[in-house]
Amino acid sequence: MEFSGTFELEDTTVDEVWLALSDPVLVQESLPGCTFLLHVEGEEADFDELAEQASELDRELTNDPEVIAQRAFKEGERYAALMQVSVGPVNPTFETVVTIDERDRPRMDASGEGSSGDSSFEMSSSMALSETDDGDGVAVEWETQADVFGKVAGMGQRVINPVANRIVKRFFSSVQEELHDLGVGEVSTSDGDESDGRSLVDRVLGRSKSTDSE
Amino acid sequence: MTVDSLDPDDVDAADILGSAIERREDPALLTGNAEYTDDIQIDGMLHMAVVRSQYGHAKLEGVDTSEAEAMDGVHGVYTYEDLVSDETPGGGSFALPTAWLLDSLKQVEHPVLASDKVRHQGDGIAVVVAEDRYTARDAAGAVDVEYERLDAVVHPSEAFSDDAEQLHDDAEDNVAFDWEIGDAEKTADAFADASHTASIDLDNQLLIANAMEPRAAVADYNPGTDELDVAMTTQNPHVHRLLMAGVLGHPEHKLSVRAPDVGGGFGSKIHHYADEALVAWCSMMHEGPIKWTATRSETYLTDAPGRGHETKAEIAMDDDGNIVGLRVDTMANLGAYLSTFAPAVPTYLYGTLLSGQYDIPAIYGHVKGAFTNVPPVDAYRGAGRPEASFLVERLVHLGAKEMGMDPVEFRKQNFVPDDAFPYETQVAVVYDSGEYTKPMDEALEMLDYENFREEQERARDEGKYLGVGFSCYIEACGLAPSELAGQLGAQAGLWESSLVRMHPSGTVTAYCGTSGHGQGHGTTYAQIVANELGVPYDSVEVVEGDTDEIPQGMGTYGSRSAAVGGSSLVKSAQKVVEKGKEIAAHQLEADPEDIEFENGEYSVAGAPDRSMSMADVAGAAYLAHDIPDEMEPGLEATSFYDPDNFVFPFGTHAAIVEVDPDSGEIEIERYVAVDDVGNQINPKIVEGQIHGGIAQGVGQALYEGAEYDDNATLMTGSMQDYAVPKAEHVPEMETGATVTPSPHNPLGVKGVGEAGTIAAPQAIVNAVADALEPFGVDHIDMPMDAESVWSAVQANATADGGAEPGSDDADHGGER
Amino acid sequence: MTEHDITLTVNGAEHDLTVEARTLLVHALRDELGYTGTNVGCESSLCGACTVRMDGEAVKSCTTLAVQADGAEIRTVEDLGTRHDFHPIQEGFQEEHGLQCGYCTPGMMMTALDILEENPDPTREEIREGLEGNLCRCTGYQNIVNAVQNAAEQMQPAAVADGGETDDDGPTPATDGGEKQ
Ligand code: FES
Ligand code: FES
Repeated sequence: MEFSGTFELEDTTVDEVWLALSDPVLVQESLPGCTFLLHVEGEEADFDELAEQASELDRELTNDPEVIAQRAFKEGERYAALMQVSVGPVNPTFETVVTIDERDRPRMDASGEGSSGDSSFEMSSSMALSETDDGDGVAVEWETQADVFGKVAGMGQRVINPVANRIVKRFFSSVQEELHDLGVGEVSTSDGDESDGRSLVDRVLGRSKSTDSE
Repeated sequence: MTVDSLDPDDVDAADILGSAIERREDPALLTGNAEYTDDIQIDGMLHMAVVRSQYGHAKLEGVDTSEAEAMDGVHGVYTYEDLVSDETPGGGSFALPTAWLLDSLKQVEHPVLASDKVRHQGDGIAVVVAEDRYTARDAAGAVDVEYERLDAVVHPSEAFSDDAEQLHDDAEDNVAFDWEIGDAEKTADAFADASHTASIDLDNQLLIANAMEPRAAVADYNPGTDELDVAMTTQNPHVHRLLMAGVLGHPEHKLSVRAPDVGGGFGSKIHHYADEALVAWCSMMHEGPIKWTATRSETYLTDAPGRGHETKAEIAMDDDGNIVGLRVDTMANLGAYLSTFAPAVPTYLYGTLLSGQYDIPAIYGHVKGAFTNVPPVDAYRGAGRPEASFLVERLVHLGAKEMGMDPVEFRKQNFVPDDAFPYETQVAVVYDSGEYTKPMDEALEMLDYENFREEQERARDEGKYLGVGFSCYIEACGLAPSELAGQLGAQAGLWESSLVRMHPSGTVTAYCGTSGHGQGHGTTYAQIVANELGVPYDSVEVVEGDTDEIPQGMGTYGSRSAAVGGSSLVKSAQKVVEKGKEIAAHQLEADPEDIEFENGEYSVAGAPDRSMSMADVAGAAYLAHDIPDEMEPGLEATSFYDPDNFVFPFGTHAAIVEVDPDSGEIEIERYVAVDDVGNQINPKIVEGQIHGGIAQGVGQALYEGAEYDDNATLMTGSMQDYAVPKAEHVPEMETGATVTPSPHNPLGVKGVGEAGTIAAPQAIVNAVADALEPFGVDHIDMPMDAESVWSAVQANATADGGAEPGSDDADHGGER
Repeated sequence: MTEHDITLTVNGAEHDLTVEARTLLVHALRDELGYTGTNVGCESSLCGACTVRMDGEAVKSCTTLAVQADGAEIRTVEDLGTRHDFHPIQEGFQEEHGLQCGYCTPGMMMTALDILEENPDPTREEIREGLEGNLCRCTGYQNIVNAVQNAAEQMQPAAVADGGETDDDGPTPATDGGEKQ
C-alpha cells in the first residue's frame, strides 16, 4: 500500500528540520511507541543486545549541532528500532531495521522491514523538505510504500491506513514540538543570518555549501 | 407474487407434493436446539489452532515450536515432519487429492501442512493442540517461523507472464491446464463470414462464499476400537470420508463423517481442506476428542474462493441479427493448489454452457488454468455456470446493441426454439427441455416493458438515467450420468443413493446421501416419500449427512439434491411399493398383477373392498408369518440413481436501475425473476432459494470481491472489507415461475439452488450499461462501485466523444 | 491470565462462574454455560450472529467481555418460545420462511425484538435499517423482513393493550394467543 502526504512545520527553517530529522535521538523521541532507535554495528541486528545497549545508553535531546553531527544518520548505514503499534485490538511490537539509502539535503530515502511474531512489514520511504510558500515554515513531503503481512495485514486497509496516518501525524507534530522546545535551530539563527546558519549546519553535517540546491 | 406458506396439517395427503408447507427443520433452528459443529462439547475435548503463513509466497527457512510447546495448557505442537513420521499415527498421503482430472492437468503436490514452501496465506505450517481455544490460538502465535519471502502472483495474466515467479516445479509457467471445447475452425469461419461482431474483455472477480457458519470439525478417536468419528461442516460427508481416509491412511470403514446442522455452504464446504484432516489426525495422536473452529479471518484465508476469470470473448451475427458464432478465451485462476473439484469448474461446468439459451451454430472456448498465490479456487454457488452465463448475456447485450436491435427482440430471435428440444449444443451437452420465451414474456409483463421504455425516454430528458437489463440464464445441474462424468474426468460417480425403510408400525425413515445445510431437505424429501408411499407426511423422517447411517452418498452441491437425491428416493420408495405389492397380493390372495396401489392403499383390481394399507403391509412384512415363499422379511429398499443427463433450469431475470452519472451511484429500482426449475416440490423453499441466490448475485454485481495486493496478501480479509450484502443492499425481489418439467427424472424437477446467483449479476450489469448508453459505456467490471461507474462515465465521455454527465446532449446520445 | 468471578443471569437462571479477563460473553455462554443457541459468525462485531439481549438491549456478545456482563440479565434464543409455544418472532420466521440454514437466525430474532420494541409497526425500510448489523447469507433478507412484519402484526394488539409492554418477560399469553394454530 502507498501512503503519502505533506506535513507543514511552522515557524522553522529547512535547516532546522533537516538537523532535527538527522538526529536518531530526536526521531526516537518523536516516534510514537518507539522504545529505542540505534545504529546497527554488526551484520545482524540482535534486538536483545540492542535493548540492553539502549538501557545503558545515556543520550539526551540536544540542540547542539556538534553532538547531533556525531550521531546523525549516515547514508548506507542501518538502524534498528523497537516499535509498538496499536492496530485495532492488538499491540504488536515490531523489531524494525531501516537502511538509510540516500541522504542528500533536503531529501532522505530509507527502506527497511519489521517483524512481530505473526506480522511483518517491508517499506521504503522518502522525504523531501522545502520552504513553504509563505516562507516561514517547512513543508515535509513524504511518501511511503509499505507491504504489510500476516495478522495485521488481515485487518484490512480500513484499519491499517488510519494507524499509519496517525503515526506519521503524531511523529511530525512531535518533531515540531521538540524543535520548538529545544530550539534546535536557534543555534543557527542566533548565529546571524540565514546563510551563516546554513553553513553551520552544513559544516556539522559534513556537507559543502555547493551541494545545496537552494 | 409471494408464495404463502401452509401448515402441513392443513394439506391433504394427496397434495403434499408441490405444497408450500412450512419447514420441519425450523423449530430446532428457531429455539436454539440446533446442533452446529462448534456446539458439540465432549468431556476432555482439546482444541486445535493452525499456524498459517504470513506471506502469500515464501520458502520456509525454519519453524521453532519450542516456545509454544512450553506454554501452559499446550498439549502438542506439530509440523509436517510429525505427520509423516513413522512414530505417529496414520500412514496416508498427508496431501490433498483433486477429484477431477483433465488430460493436460498438472497434478501438483498439496501437503496438509507446508513442508518447504508456502504458496498462499492460508497454508498451514504447524498445528497446536491445547486445553482451550484461547490457549491454542496464543500458542499458535508463539510458533516462530522463518521465511524467505518470494514474489507472488495474484491474477492468471500475471502468473503466465514471462518473469512470473513459479509456484510449483512441475507446473511450468504456472499453467495448470490448457483446455478447449467446441470447434475452433468452424467458429473462425463463422466469424470470417459474419457481418457484425461485438466483443468484450472482462474480469469475473474472485468471490468468497462467506457461509455464516465458519468451517469447523470435532474429531474423536477411540483407541479401543480404532474408530475415528469426525463431525464437521460438510456438504458431502461420504466424499469427505473417502478422501480423508486416503489423506490420513485410516481405513474408510473405521472412519465416520457426520454433518451436524451446517450453517450454509454455497460450495465452500464441499472441498476437502487440510484443517479437517489435521483435527482428525490430532485426535488420533491424542487419542481423544479435539475441536477446531475457524475464526472468520481464517475462513477468508482458507475457504476456497470462486470465479476468478480474465476473459476475452466475441459474438458474431449475420445481417438479420442471427447469432452465428461465439468465441471465448479465458484465463482461470485456480489458486495455489488444485482443490477438490477445481479442474471441473472453469472447464466442464463453464464451457458447456457457452450456448446459453441460444441456438448458436459455432462455438469455441479455450481455457487456460493458472496457479497463483491465492487460496485454492473451487466451486462457489453456481461454479462455472455464472461465469458462462455472465459472459453470454453480456455479449448478447452488446450484440443487440451492435445490431441496433432491442435486446428482448434480439434474444427472442435467437432463443433455441421450443420444438428443438432435446437440443444439442455445439459445446457437448443436450438441453433436456425448455420454452425460453415463456419466462421472458412473463418477466416483460411483470416489468411492463413497453411502458418502461417510454418512462426511460422521459427520464433521460430530465437528466435521470434509468436502465433495464436482462439475463436469460441457463443452468446445468445434477451432472450425469456417471459414465459421462468419468469421461470428462470426474474421479467419482455422480449418482445418488437412498434407502427407504418402512417400520413395522407403518412409519418411515428415509435416508439420502445428499447433505442439506439450509435447503430444507428434511421437508422436501418427506414430501416426496410421503407422496410415493401414500403415508402421512408426519410419518416420514428424513436422515441425511451421516456416513454411519446412510449407505452411500455424493452430497449436496450443484443444485443436484432434488433432481438426483430426490429421484433416488422416488426409486427406493417405488421398490418398497413393489415389494409391498407382492405381500399384499399374497395376503389378499390375488395375483400381484391385479394389485393396484393408490394413496397408500393396496387393493385388488375390481374389488376395492379387498385392500390393505401400506402400514398393514409393513406390519406383515416384519411379522413375516405369512409372506410369499422365498421372500425375505422386512420392507425397505435402497437405490443408486444415476440420471440419464443433466437437468437444465432456465429463466429470465431483469433489473431496472437508476444510475447517477455524476456520483456513480446505482439504485436497483426493481428486480424481477421468473424461473423455470421444472416441477416444484415446495414452492416456498424454491422462492427462498431464488431470493438467497439473487442476493449473492447482487453482491457480486455491486459489492463483493476478494482483493489481494501484489504480494498476494488478502486486502479484504474481514467482513468490514469484504462487503457481504446487508439487508439494505438487497432489493425487494418480485418472483414468478413457469414450469417445464424435466422429461428424464421421475419428479420432473430441475434444480434451484444456484439459479439466482447465476442469473443476477448480468441482469444488473446489463441494466447499468443500458442506463449509461448515452455516455457510451459498454461494460463495467464487477463489483460496480460508485467509483468504477463514475470513472467509466468519465473515460467514455472524453475518449469516445460521448456525452458528458449533466450536459444536454447526454439526453439524446444513444437512443435506440 | 487473571481470572474473575462473575454472575450472569441467563434466561432467568443465575450462574456463578470464573472467567479470564479476556473471555468473550459469547464463549462464556456457549462454552461455559452450554447456551449454544447463540452462534458466532465473525468474532468482530460485524455479523450479528451472536446478538443476545443484555439488560433488555440487543448486544453483540462477541464484543462484550464476560466480565463486562457481570451482574447482567442475559436473554438468549433459548428463552423465546418452545416448538409447541412459539414466541411471535419465531412464528413469524417459520411462517415466512425467514431462515434457511438458521445460523444467523437467533441473532436476527434478538435484533428484531429490539426493533419491534422501539417501533412496533416498522416499515420494510425501517426493518432493513434496523437489521444493519446482522448478516444473513442464505435468505436474501426479503423473507426476514416479512417475518419481522409478521411478528409485528402478531404482537401489535397486545403491545397496545399492555401499553407497549416489552417482550422481555417472554411470550405472554396475550401476545401468543390468537394467531397460533
Ligand atoms: S460473532 Fe458477534 S458480530 Fe459476528
Ligand atoms: S439463514 Fe443461513 S445465514 Fe441466515
